[in-house]
Amino acid sequence: MLEGIMRTSRRTFFAVTAAALAAGFSYGASAQQTEIKVGYMKHPIQDASLDMMEKWAKAHNVKLTRVPMAYSVFMEKVTATLTSETDQFDIIWHNDDWGQLWKKWVEPTDDIPGMENTDPWVLEAFLNDDKKPTAVPMAHTVGTFFYRTDLLKPEEVPTTFDELVEVSKRLQKEGKVKWGYVGAMAMNNTWFTFWWATWSNKCDLLKPFFERDYEKLKANNFEPGIADPCSQEVMEFWWDAMNKHKISPPGMTAYTRNESNAIFMAGDAAFTLIDSTHYGEFNDPKRSKIAGKVGMAPFPVGPRGERPTSWNEVWAWAIPKGVPAERKKIAKQMLAAMLADEAGQIEMWKKTGGPPPNTKLWPKLRAEDKDFDMLSKAVFDHKPLAHSAYYFPEWPALHKAYSDVAIGALQGKREDIPQALKDGVEKLRRAAAGN
Amino acid sequence: MSLIWSNARVRSQLSSFYDINDRHLTLMASRPFLGLDEKKRFMLALIAPAVFALTLFQIVPILTGANASFRDWSLYDPQKTWIGLDNYIYVLTDDDFLWTILPNTFGFMFASVACSLVLGLGIALLLNRRFPGRWLVQTIILLPLMVAPVIAAIMTRWMFNDQFGIVNVVLESLGFSPIPWLTQKWTAFFVILITDVWLWTPWFALLLLAGLQSLPPEPFEAAKIDAASAWRTFRYITLPMLRPVIVVCVVIRAIDAFRTFDIVWTISAGGPARSTEVFSLYAYIEAFQFLNFGRGSAAAVIGALIIIVFAMVLYRILNRWVEVSK
Repeated sequence: MLEGIMRTSRRTFFAVTAAALAAGFSYGASAQQTEIKVGYMKHPIQDASLDMMEKWAKAHNVKLTRVPMAYSVFMEKVTATLTSETDQFDIIWHNDDWGQLWKKWVEPTDDIPGMENTDPWVLEAFLNDDKKPTAVPMAHTVGTFFYRTDLLKPEEVPTTFDELVEVSKRLQKEGKVKWGYVGAMAMNNTWFTFWWATWSNKCDLLKPFFERDYEKLKANNFEPGIADPCSQEVMEFWWDAMNKHKISPPGMTAYTRNESNAIFMAGDAAFTLIDSTHYGEFNDPKRSKIAGKVGMAPFPVGPRGERPTSWNEVWAWAIPKGVPAERKKIAKQMLAAMLADEAGQIEMWKKTGGPPPNTKLWPKLRAEDKDFDMLSKAVFDHKPLAHSAYYFPEWPALHKAYSDVAIGALQGKREDIPQALKDGVEKLRRAAAGN
Repeated sequence: MSLIWSNARVRSQLSSFYDINDRHLTLMASRPFLGLDEKKRFMLALIAPAVFALTLFQIVPILTGANASFRDWSLYDPQKTWIGLDNYIYVLTDDDFLWTILPNTFGFMFASVACSLVLGLGIALLLNRRFPGRWLVQTIILLPLMVAPVIAAIMTRWMFNDQFGIVNVVLESLGFSPIPWLTQKWTAFFVILITDVWLWTPWFALLLLAGLQSLPPEPFEAAKIDAASAWRTFRYITLPMLRPVIVVCVVIRAIDAFRTFDIVWTISAGGPARSTEVFSLYAYIEAFQFLNFGRGSAAAVIGALIIIVFAMVLYRILNRWVEVSK
């Protein structure tokens, strides 16, 4: 009996030991798995880019954790984590709009394989003081002039401001649309009305026009161009569009891209201008009444413009400096894998309308994909006059000051526009200078 | 021993709490700490967790913010250099702050509190009567309190949308022209105001109804015997007796309205061209859009001081009104 008890005890001992060892091994295996946390904004393009990274992560025993954050708090929150130099995120979404703010806090990325295949123009927003890029492009975000293919043939699409008015009025008169052009104007949506029109009229926010070098702008005492005749023409164009020609909704000064896209997708407008990243949304039959009827064309040109312009920037990924070396290395490998994933990038374009970061892919894609060819003709074939933002820390304040002055000018009478713009000059100068 | 254990109740509580013997307790109690007797120490121990949480999540952030307001503290590159009152001088000499933000904030506060109070009082008076289905009406009227302000603001923004909004559809069906509500100061302000009033009227109604139901019946019976009209009963009996409740409601809500952020941010973001911007948006934009944490903190401190002074003055005025009415 005693022997039986001992045998049972021995068996139990072995079983327990085996279980403990198995548990230990499995713990060891999971402990070896490195976790890489990505702070990003929930968006189909960003998820598609992360899917590419995840493929590599799974093959290399790396756990990729997605930490989504709302756009409205993203920049503030991530800035706070960067300046506290914690390793809360191993990879973060980076945007040209705040490229200048994080240059001290994120890793140079010039050593990541595949960076040589990206567009050096778009990396200018992310250069650190050593002139090294600090971001890895995820997808290009390009302003795109969209029109309704069921209403107009490509050759009928307006190429100038005057034609935009004329064609819009005709379509309205024929009862085909309620509005000609709809675009967002409210703060942070300034690109989709004021600024594309400004650049298309050979104008800019600060002087010298199209200069983005901080020292040169500073040397010129941040002289605003908002009261210049070219800018005044732009304001008058929008005032007329809303109040005189009535080709744009009178409520447009308060529109964000949500309202503007809703009107365009409801089939109530013939034209809009927004990032190409909305192309997928416009063509989604569940959400849009104009799915399959959306074309892209170059920006119409203002009275002073000589050729269509464009803007071409990127959403990107960056690695915070506070991340430990081992995880930094993995993050860089993962980003390199994303840049090398040609099939994944093509799939991202097809699924989301996000142009691939690897520009060497573009000729192939252009030959195979009529939509990408159309986007290329509308945007990539037209060299931008300048970057679509200014890359110094006071940029958000300058943007807000411009938005307030421009919207304020459109609220009054047409004849008061020149004075309203003159009154705004000092406001813009002070905002740009940080006073 | 008898001195220490003079309070039998305390002794029994302490014994049951700590499950320790008399001897040990005696030794503990005989040693006063910081001049506090054991009862006070026990009371302090009970409130300590709350004090700790309050300190961590309220006092420390306030002090951090106050400290930042005296420094060159940008969020993207915090130098934290001491710059004295520079941030305060900037805010207090900013024309937008003085001539747009402050008038907007106080205008919004007065309009919102006044409208919500009047409507809330009206609803409370109606609900104070007996009628079939009163409980259902009470529940329905309280529904806005259960809606998050941001959700309410998003709904309102779309309701007042100039193209798809139900409000313009109704206006057009009545033969009026559609209005682009959010493109002009006063119409945008109106949209913000009615959202806030919709959200807060039930709160006033709830508290005032509780006040009404706690009033003694005798004065009303006497008024009835004297054949006083409903208006005179309300004017000379209900209102004076309800004044203490009204004062508390007005002071609390005024402070809250002063710091309103979510509704204004969602509906107009302070636009068009800052014309509906209020104090909390100003502080937020400075701190988190322009990333100037020092300047945003200075604006917040100035706002806090303004509201403290304002609340004290308001409370004193209203309190005097209550005293006079007694």
